[in-house]
Amino acid sequence: MVDTEAVYHTLDYDRVTMTPDLDLTSVPSWAVEPACPRADLTGRHYTMLAIGTDAAAIAADWATQINGKPRVHLVTDAAEACRALDADLADAVVGWRLLLAGPAHACLRVRARALELGAADDEITVASTEVSIREIYCAHCRSTTTTPVSLTGQVTCRGCGRELFVYYHVSRRLGAHLGFTTRADTAP
Amino acid sequence: MSTLTLEVVAVDDHVPGIRTLTLARPDRSVLPSFTPGSHLVIQCAGGANAYSLTGDTTAPREYMVSVLECPQGRGGSRWIHQTLAVGDTVEAHLPRSAFAPVLRARRHLFVAAGIGITPMVSHLRSARRWGRDVRLLYIHRQGRDAYVDEIRKLTDHATIVTGRAAFQSELTTALACQPFGTHVYICGPSQFIDDVVATATASGWPPSRIHVEHFGGELAPGDPFEVELSSTGDVFTVEAGVSLLELLTSRGYAVPSLCHQGVCGECRLPVRSGTVLHRDLYLTEDERRDSMMACVSRASGRVELDL
Repeated sequence: MVDTEAVYHTLDYDRVTMTPDLDLTSVPSWAVEPACPRADLTGRHYTMLAIGTDAAAIAADWATQINGKPRVHLVTDAAEACRALDADLADAVVGWRLLLAGPAHACLRVRARALELGAADDEITVASTEVSIREIYCAHCRSTTTTPVSLTGQVTCRGCGRELFVYYHVSRRLGAHLGFTTRADTAP
Repeated sequence: MSTLTLEVVAVDDHVPGIRTLTLARPDRSVLPSFTPGSHLVIQCAGGANAYSLTGDTTAPREYMVSVLECPQGRGGSRWIHQTLAVGDTVEAHLPRSAFAPVLRARRHLFVAAGIGITPMVSHLRSARRWGRDVRLLYIHRQGRDAYVDEIRKLTDHATIVTGRAAFQSELTTALACQPFGTHVYICGPSQFIDDVVATATASGWPPSRIHVEHFGGELAPGDPFEVELSSTGDVFTVEAGVSLLELLTSRGYAVPSLCHQGVCGECRLPVRSGTVLHRDLYLTEDERRDSMMACVSRASGRVELDL
């Protein structure tokens, strides 16, 4: 028989909620609690993307910390941020850094685009202005649902109507949380 | 660990101070393929030395290594230069990869000094085969132009210099203008690596884009320290100039070991307490909290090992 207590201990699970230590998952800490780190000053060129008005204040503070002239984009959503990112990266050289501020779900989207364009984790700094909204990727119909929901909460998939469990996994490629059905599919 | 018995099938001494060995199986059958940047650990009298493989990486019938003669070294290179001849056999371990190309890189920038060119040669071969974008910056001493002809055949983008000032200027320019997505690979003497890494860092290169391959280099003998084994409570003194690995081995403890240079990771020991002076190139900062490499690292005062 498996000694379940020992197993939970080694996996670092919280034994009451069965939630793993989030540091050991793909969910960034800034997607759980709002975060406002200092600007990364080790680069030579900077793009600053601020999504929403709360983020603009963070960007203004970062701008005072950085020597030289960052490219600053004050935008309203992730799509606009991604377009600005594409344009800036077209002629970027190594030494470039991304300073990203905004709602966590939008930042996850923009981070995914930055990673796709070849950025590394140590070239991206993220400040999250709010963390209650999450984008959930449905493992069954592959559509995404954006709504206020907590980790381990439930949402109704807007693509297929399934009740999805919001799992503590974020796809770096998609920038969305994994959702899967709480009820096993029944045979047709 | 499995080993290969290899026969020396050719010796090339045309570059002063550098001997290139061509090695093959006695029956000339195919050797294991290897990742670009891999090295071969060859057993020498009294130890083992790691040399970068410079030949073809895919199903090769021959391995090639180039060895710089180090008169002050531990003896491995002197043995290869002065004793080894065509027809002799050597024992080697399977190729080990610790300097692999990052395949998602947009461009690969190689920076090498002297014999540090050797791992870059297999990188250039592989890059040519797969059409990867490369740049090479290579500094060598006048007359010690190892692999220059080969490099010219493998890439049109090599900058080869012999003067320090010219090198520094080329380096600063190269590091300032690489397209985003480039990774840099550095090999040479420790001081050279440190200098290039410092220049890259000053140009805004993040650690994830910087890859280094160390070789050789003698470490200071260090100060004596005490070691306590937690299982028995035995306490030994490790004298200056003696490694912890040598001491434990002489006392009858079987500690696996291979390179004796803090590179391969074989002789890692669990540390329970004490201040370790880490001198290896293997452990991460996290791993250094509870481990040490017995071959090169020392301690201040007493260190307690979980043995």
